[in-house]
Amino acid sequence: MTATAQVALSGRIVEYGVKPCMIAVFFVLIALLWTFPLQPVIAYPFVFLFFGAIMGSAWFGGAIAGGIAVVLSTLVVTYFFIPPMFSMSVAKDSQSFLTAFFACAIAITIVSSARKRAENAIRVARDELEVKVEERTAELVQSNLEIQESERQLRMLTEAIPQQIWRANAAGRVEYCNQHLIEYLGRPMEQLTGDLFLGVIHPEDQPLYRRGWQTALESGGNFEVEARVRGADAVYRWFLVRSIPQRSRKAEIARWYGIHIDIEEQRRAQQSLAAAQEHLSRLSHTLSMAEMAASIAHELNQPLTAVVTHAYACREWLRAQPANLDKASATAEKIVRESTRASAVVSRVRALFRKDVQVRESTDINRLIHELVRLLRDEAIRRDVSVRLELAGNLPRLEIDPVQIQQVMLNLAINGMDAMMDSPGPRVLAIRSNQHGDNEVLVAVEDLGPGVAEEIADRVFDPFFSTKPQGTGMGLAICRSIVEAHDGRLWLERSARGGAVFQFTVRAQS
Amino acid sequence: MTAENEKVYIVDDDPAICEALSNLLESVGIVAEPCASAEAFRERWDQAQAGCLLLDARLPGISGVELQEQLRTAGVSLPIIFMTAHGDVPMVRKVMKAGAIEFLTKPFQKEELIHAVEQAFISDRARRREAETVDSIQKRIDSLSEREREVMALVTAGMLNKQIAGDLSLSEITVKLHRRRVMEKMRAGSLAELVRMCERVSWPGADAIRS
Repeated sequence: MTATAQVALSGRIVEYGVKPCMIAVFFVLIALLWTFPLQPVIAYPFVFLFFGAIMGSAWFGGAIAGGIAVVLSTLVVTYFFIPPMFSMSVAKDSQSFLTAFFACAIAITIVSSARKRAENAIRVARDELEVKVEERTAELVQSNLEIQESERQLRMLTEAIPQQIWRANAAGRVEYCNQHLIEYLGRPMEQLTGDLFLGVIHPEDQPLYRRGWQTALESGGNFEVEARVRGADAVYRWFLVRSIPQRSRKAEIARWYGIHIDIEEQRRAQQSLAAAQEHLSRLSHTLSMAEMAASIAHELNQPLTAVVTHAYACREWLRAQPANLDKASATAEKIVRESTRASAVVSRVRALFRKDVQVRESTDINRLIHELVRLLRDEAIRRDVSVRLELAGNLPRLEIDPVQIQQVMLNLAINGMDAMMDSPGPRVLAIRSNQHGDNEVLVAVEDLGPGVAEEIADRVFDPFFSTKPQGTGMGLAICRSIVEAHDGRLWLERSARGGAVFQFTVRAQS
Repeated sequence: MTAENEKVYIVDDDPAICEALSNLLESVGIVAEPCASAEAFRERWDQAQAGCLLLDARLPGISGVELQEQLRTAGVSLPIIFMTAHGDVPMVRKVMKAGAIEFLTKPFQKEELIHAVEQAFISDRARRREAETVDSIQKRIDSLSEREREVMALVTAGMLNKQIAGDLSLSEITVKLHRRRVMEKMRAGSLAELVRMCERVSWPGADAIRS
């Protein structure tokens, strides 16, 4: 046996042997001592006193002390107070009393010690609870600090990102803007009103922006749109506005997180690329026109040169002395042959420009105009022109070649935009459709440019007539021939607002 | 007009043009030979043939402008009349600078063509005469002896007989003798004529003077 085991054992002997014994003896002695003085005052005082002693022993010393107190009390009561007095023997008529005493004593011990144990257990539990609460409180404090720290880091991050970042509530009310965004807008976010940033979006981009936002709100999907945003200097720059919703546990949208990415440079690069492409395509167009013209000229010039040269030779053969009629006649044959060749070239060129296959499709002119506007959108933005449509409803369907008629409208629209290129005022291109007479539809393209000067007004439809340095002079000539091939008319009028109105009619489907 | 048996080579890829030009030249008594390409011309052309070249500036394969360049590089100075349907200014400037006689734009008038051909023939004749003269002077120089050539070089350089005698370690009489033989062989009537002849063939060359 080791020393520690010995100490443990002796500790246990004290705990379960010595201490209960001492407590039981102490209480029983007190009860015994108090019994004698009280005996003359009340009947059977020992019953209460010993029960009290047993209760006290069981309470303070536990079940063991209670048991010892029961035994001691029973012995003392038997010896001192059960007749015959001062003997351990019990009279016949007192046996039932003693038994009852003993049983009561046992019951008191059990109840008292059980109560004591329960109280102890409650106290232990309460202590444990207090420790636990303290621990949890400390944990909470710690995690609170951590959350604050991570929030601080997150905020620093959003401020450090060189982009404009914001957060809005579920309805789109902006709740937070990072410093970049506030600096760009030049006003505190409290002044932002309406859906998201609608107030600082370029008016032309607002419909698209609003539509995108509405769709995102309804579908709960991501919101992404390219729009011009007004800065503190009142200058608009292109931004990619992108936002994603954050959802609550119940899958409802709690807030929106958004970013504005500056795409002005990108946009400009795109525009200049597009401009370069357009320039290139125009150049290649005029180049091919020039090349074709040169090729046709050469084709024609060869036989003509031969004809002229033969004609000179023929004259020489006839002038000779004597005239060489054989040679002159042979030369005349060659003149005929070469002239025929020249004529064939002309026919071939005409065949090249004639379109033999005629396409006629039943077409809704307004739908065609809407398509045209889509085609023009980028060009209009690049040139800062707004396109206004005034389309009549209930127009009859047209039996036309939609590609050709769209080409006509495209040509007129581009001409109108060209006319407003140097215009300082508002640049508005109006496209109208109307019923014209009983059986015709009229389409008008009106610009706010300087208009067409009186002296050239009747020449603008002539082939090769152009006022533009890069123009081929073929645009309006081709337009007119297309419209006339549709049994229509294309003409120019002066607009009430000073610009030019090109309008054409097309016969409706019969 | 064709006394010297001159011929016009016509180079044009369009046979109808070749035929018409031949017909016209023939009608005024000029011999013409049509060629469909620059390559065909180079095959048929005879160096000894007097005449000129009527050349289309634009040809498939070797172009007219390139042919002119090739002939010039080869030292051939056959007069060239250019013709084209549409000549641009840089091209005209280039070929005229390179010595073309004329640049005709198709279709051209008979008078323009005939005038240009006559100019070309005149130029060709002058060229040939010049070539013949140079040739004969060179032959005369070749017939001189070594000593005679030395004397001629010093004479044409303007030295007196006495100086020449000193230079060549000869007696003055011997120098005079050589000098008379040089004048005879060169068929020169005077010192001035001899100097002109030498200048014409650039004799003596830079190498000869040094030695």
